[in-house]
Amino acid sequence: MTDQRPHFVGVDVGGTFTDVVLADSAGGVTIGKVPTTPDDPRRGVVEGIRDALGRAAVDPGAVSRVVHGTTLATNVVVQRTAAPIALVATEGFGDLLRLGREARVEEDRYDLFFTPADPPVDARLTFEVAERVSAKGEVLVPLTDEAIAGVARRVAAAQPAGVSVCLLHAYAHPAHEQAVAEACRAAVPAAYVVSSSEVWPEMREYERAMTTAVCALVGPVMAAYVAGLESSLHDLGIRCGVEIMESSGGVMSAQAAARRPVATVESGGAAGVTAAGIVGRSVGLADVISFDMGGTTAKTGIVRDGSPAITHDFQIGGKGSFGGTRAGTGVPVKIPVVDLAEVGAGGGSVAWVDAGALHVGPQSAGAVPGPACYRRGGTEPTVTDANLLLGYLDAGGLAGGVTLDADLAAAAVGESIANPLGIDIPGAAHAIHEIVNETMASAIRVVTVQRGIDPRGFTLVGFGGAGPMHVARLAAAFGIQSVVVPWAAGVGSAIGLVSSDLTVDLVQTRILDLEHADATTLTQLFDELEARGRKELDDAGATFVMTRSADMRFHGQAHQLTVSVPDGPLGDEDLSGLAKRFHEVYRQTYGIDADAPAQLVNARVRVVRVVDKLSPRSHQVAERDPNVALAGERAASFVEVGGFTTTPVFDWSRLEPGSRLVGPAIVEGADATIVVPPGYSAAVDRWRNVVLASGEAS
Amino acid sequence: MPNATAVDDAITGEVIRSGLLVAAEEASVVVVRSSHSTFIQEGADACAAILDAAGQLVAQSTATSLMHGASLRSSLPALLEESPLDSMGPGDVFALNDPYRGGIHANDILVFRPVFGDGRVVFFAGTLIHVADLGGNAVAGLAALATDTFAEGLLLPPVHLYRKGEPVDDVLGIIARNSRAPDKVTGDVRALVAGVNVIARRLEELVERFGTTTVERFVRDSIDDAERRVRDDLRRLPAGTYHGAFEIDGDGVDPDREFEVNVAVTARDGSIDVDFGGTSPQARGTINSSFSQTLSGVVYAVRCFVDPTIPMNEGCFRPLHTRLPGGTLVNPNPPAACGGRIMTVAAAVEAILQALAEARPDHAVGASALIHVFSLSGVDARGAPWLNLFYEFGGLGARAGSDGPDATGAFFLGGRSVLPQIEPLEAQYPLVVRSSRLWVDSGGAGEWRGGLGVETVIELLTPAVVTVRGARMDLPPPGARGGRPGRAGTFAVARHDGTADVLPAKAANVEIAAGERFVLRTSGGGGLGPPERRDPHRVLADVLAGRVSAEGAASDYAVVLDGSGTSIDQPATDRLRDERIAEHP
Repeated sequence: MTDQRPHFVGVDVGGTFTDVVLADSAGGVTIGKVPTTPDDPRRGVVEGIRDALGRAAVDPGAVSRVVHGTTLATNVVVQRTAAPIALVATEGFGDLLRLGREARVEEDRYDLFFTPADPPVDARLTFEVAERVSAKGEVLVPLTDEAIAGVARRVAAAQPAGVSVCLLHAYAHPAHEQAVAEACRAAVPAAYVVSSSEVWPEMREYERAMTTAVCALVGPVMAAYVAGLESSLHDLGIRCGVEIMESSGGVMSAQAAARRPVATVESGGAAGVTAAGIVGRSVGLADVISFDMGGTTAKTGIVRDGSPAITHDFQIGGKGSFGGTRAGTGVPVKIPVVDLAEVGAGGGSVAWVDAGALHVGPQSAGAVPGPACYRRGGTEPTVTDANLLLGYLDAGGLAGGVTLDADLAAAAVGESIANPLGIDIPGAAHAIHEIVNETMASAIRVVTVQRGIDPRGFTLVGFGGAGPMHVARLAAAFGIQSVVVPWAAGVGSAIGLVSSDLTVDLVQTRILDLEHADATTLTQLFDELEARGRKELDDAGATFVMTRSADMRFHGQAHQLTVSVPDGPLGDEDLSGLAKRFHEVYRQTYGIDADAPAQLVNARVRVVRVVDKLSPRSHQVAERDPNVALAGERAASFVEVGGFTTTPVFDWSRLEPGSRLVGPAIVEGADATIVVPPGYSAAVDRWRNVVLASGEAS
Repeated sequence: MPNATAVDDAITGEVIRSGLLVAAEEASVVVVRSSHSTFIQEGADACAAILDAAGQLVAQSTATSLMHGASLRSSLPALLEESPLDSMGPGDVFALNDPYRGGIHANDILVFRPVFGDGRVVFFAGTLIHVADLGGNAVAGLAALATDTFAEGLLLPPVHLYRKGEPVDDVLGIIARNSRAPDKVTGDVRALVAGVNVIARRLEELVERFGTTTVERFVRDSIDDAERRVRDDLRRLPAGTYHGAFEIDGDGVDPDREFEVNVAVTARDGSIDVDFGGTSPQARGTINSSFSQTLSGVVYAVRCFVDPTIPMNEGCFRPLHTRLPGGTLVNPNPPAACGGRIMTVAAAVEAILQALAEARPDHAVGASALIHVFSLSGVDARGAPWLNLFYEFGGLGARAGSDGPDATGAFFLGGRSVLPQIEPLEAQYPLVVRSSRLWVDSGGAGEWRGGLGVETVIELLTPAVVTVRGARMDLPPPGARGGRPGRAGTFAVARHDGTADVLPAKAANVEIAAGERFVLRTSGGGGLGPPERRDPHRVLADVLAGRVSAEGAASDYAVVLDGSGTSIDQPATDRLRDERIAEHP
């Protein structure tokens, strides 16, 4: 007898593992982890889902949502594997992308041989069309029928897989772009055609053109991928469509993802931060730092007042010490992206010695051959090997589907680290653990102190296959008092996927001096955006939640800060409130006052359609004896006690809500292991999350 | 646990080093985002740096121009002369801009704030940007024809901007009153102060967390470590003295004078001596480079021969010894004008690269086309005055094994992310950019081609005034080892009557009527190696990509294309190349 109740599937493709969550509407969860199949990630996805459905005995026909986190868009852009696409630009500006906006930072500055990356569109596939619009949206050079037909003919002759159309000031006057795009659709029916005003009508032609080009580049690949995935799932008996996690933390339908594929660039990372936000909300914490450590990388992000922090300056493949937002170091996309920092530090990260200095990562042993202790032929010492030698993982226990072998771990750490450094093996393991913590701390620093945010008031939410082993140490490094390891931490991002609603983010550039603006114009601007959003998420009976914001600046400035805007019809008092809020945000951000008049530049709207999703299952909390869940003990190493000490090991699944225990201790779950250092206490809350607190050894 | 202290130490060191870098980086972003000058906001990077109480450079923001970092480093001693360490208190903020005390020129304002630990000054936070306008005889700090510093704008000796956290309104008032854009310049100064405040806050956190002496120890180690790495790499250069020279195309004031930067570079046992003896006497025009700026060129050029990942701090300066003869282009006497110093700094870089290429032939490069600066100003349709500084880059020189990148100016400049985009410019100023394209055939021909320049056409909607300062226009960037020079750029005004006024490379306050167009072409970079040796398939690829015309392929490279223009006519190419070689054996 199979389970016929509606079920939700979340599937997140990471660098090492593909994580699967199968959830029912009552909060029941089945989890799975299979090796990622990089040559065709779909194989791992389908395999993982099939496996989870089988174990849970759920009828595939009962699956009502499949929510997917994928790195496809980023891979297409970074690896340049997509078929050639065309760009149509205003006459005089065909070199827009080729002139580029590259920045030479750090070591590139001293490299006489530095060569900027080629733009994503070949010069031979860039076409100019005679037309011109002013910054106010007035037509300076009309777009003639001959010009439209001419450019469509030239584009058609090149037979590109995709066409991006980006004309100057199209955010203020989209008609020219639309006419050109329509003609291209008619002339090259097989091509994926997209215009900048459809995708992201925001001022600044270079970023807008890049954003549009990325859509044209990724669109055909995304459409084919999703179609193939839906067909494979259909073969499994799953009848619902696939939804894709967006970079802003919402979820979009496969059709919407094919229309605006650029919105999926940080799909997987966004899911993790979203998950942390949901955990935070469920335990009543509005400000959390998300820390997701998997096999290959660790990702951090922050949630403030319940919402993930968003950046509008994301660069695909970007670098610089600002976590991929240093302008000119990657492919810029002007969509909202959950503000993430990602470092090459995961359980599989390889430790190595160079010139007497110990390094960890960014290379990863992946799932194959994996850490030395996996017995799959890996000989390089990894973070997982170090954690095993420190007693945090169970020698002889299971992880990643294999039995861990401490002798192989010791051999690898000994030969590659301890001997060259002239220290003993436990010392080397400790050093690996500490160094990878430091790397991950830098990712926390990027999203907090580098953004001017003091992390000390936040709760650190640690998840991913390896995160719960490191989270307490990381918290201590920042003076963070409170740590939560969520139930099913090992697949935390996939939990985020099945907990999300359908969302669309929209923008419209409109420069208005707030002093002279009238409230009706502003109301209309936001109403139009909201109507568009509702239409994109079309469903007559649905419940929508709208969030408005505005990018504002002082007259004479070019950069904006984002300020929230009230719902509904706006009055004059709302305009003055907006100016006041902007002044406050400005002072908080820059630590200085300015008294110039405020200007609105972009209107932004996030439209959320509330849908069925996972809500965590709550349990009765009572005083419980943790010792009923005591599974054994082993020697684990902690600096506080000067080395190894006998440490109790608890079985997470048997720790009842309300249980409290005191470090040093280890809590083992099916998918993750929590290290509770000395000086910490751990409590299981009503959602079975483990809440760690320092300095209250009660 | 054995070596636990060493591990701990390594981690602490890492935290402190990255903390310092991040503080500088964050400050540079804060300055850019809160500034009021369009060309800063839209891209140009602000410099933010950390120095120690002895004036050593500790860290600087990653995209910072070395010219700016070196200026902050060189001007701190002047500040300390006026205000000794023990006279400073928390919340004090200082400014200066005197080129003869480490500054660059009037428009580049330097701001410093002392950072305290254990009740004494431990570090200085420094920021620097080119502010909107600070007077002088042309707008936006572009006094292209000035003949002394007094015509370049208001000079500030080291002065207090804030005293114990309170603004010194007298000084701020003087700065505003001397500007054509008082609101903008005030906003810019506030942005600089916001930047040093950010650094101070971050450093105070570090000092509080680890203790003053620990932070100082790791800073010292990090500087020593950089010095050791630079010296180790310099030891790999063959010892000897190498010579280089680079001619500057003119100062715009004395058309008959010739200007040359001369260097003798001696590599010896992990150090480099650079002697500028033989360099031309200082100019009457603005191309003079104050000592901090020449030094930045030296450091930059030498850094191209050592591991690029070495952090930029005082350790990179220590192995270098320079002789800068007084009264010359590279170390002028007051009150010589300095606003156009980039021409001399760049000439110093080219001369040193050329000299060291004798030691390392794989590092030979063609000369680059540098930066072409102009300012536009006027009164818009609503009667509001406006002004802005613009610039565009020429092509980079070719490198052994790769063509020069297009339109990026010079190796030592930070790339195109510092240029404003067209849409925000048009939204703010009464102008319409009619086109902006790579300039076909402008890259210097060679076995490796120089990068292309750019052609940009700007239509003024209301009457305006333009001031220009071009570089390497009269003498275009030379090629190396048989490579040809890049094509020479021009400034011109397309008049209503259909004529084009070609402007001198340096010209001030030229009037443009409403509806007329300002046309800028930036020079191409120099080529490397004889063009007849360029692989014909590379020439064809250039033609297909619009970098070289079919005519250019034949005339510059002796490559003949077939009728379709998409493939090489090999027999015709072979004949033409044979003829060329016969003409110039």
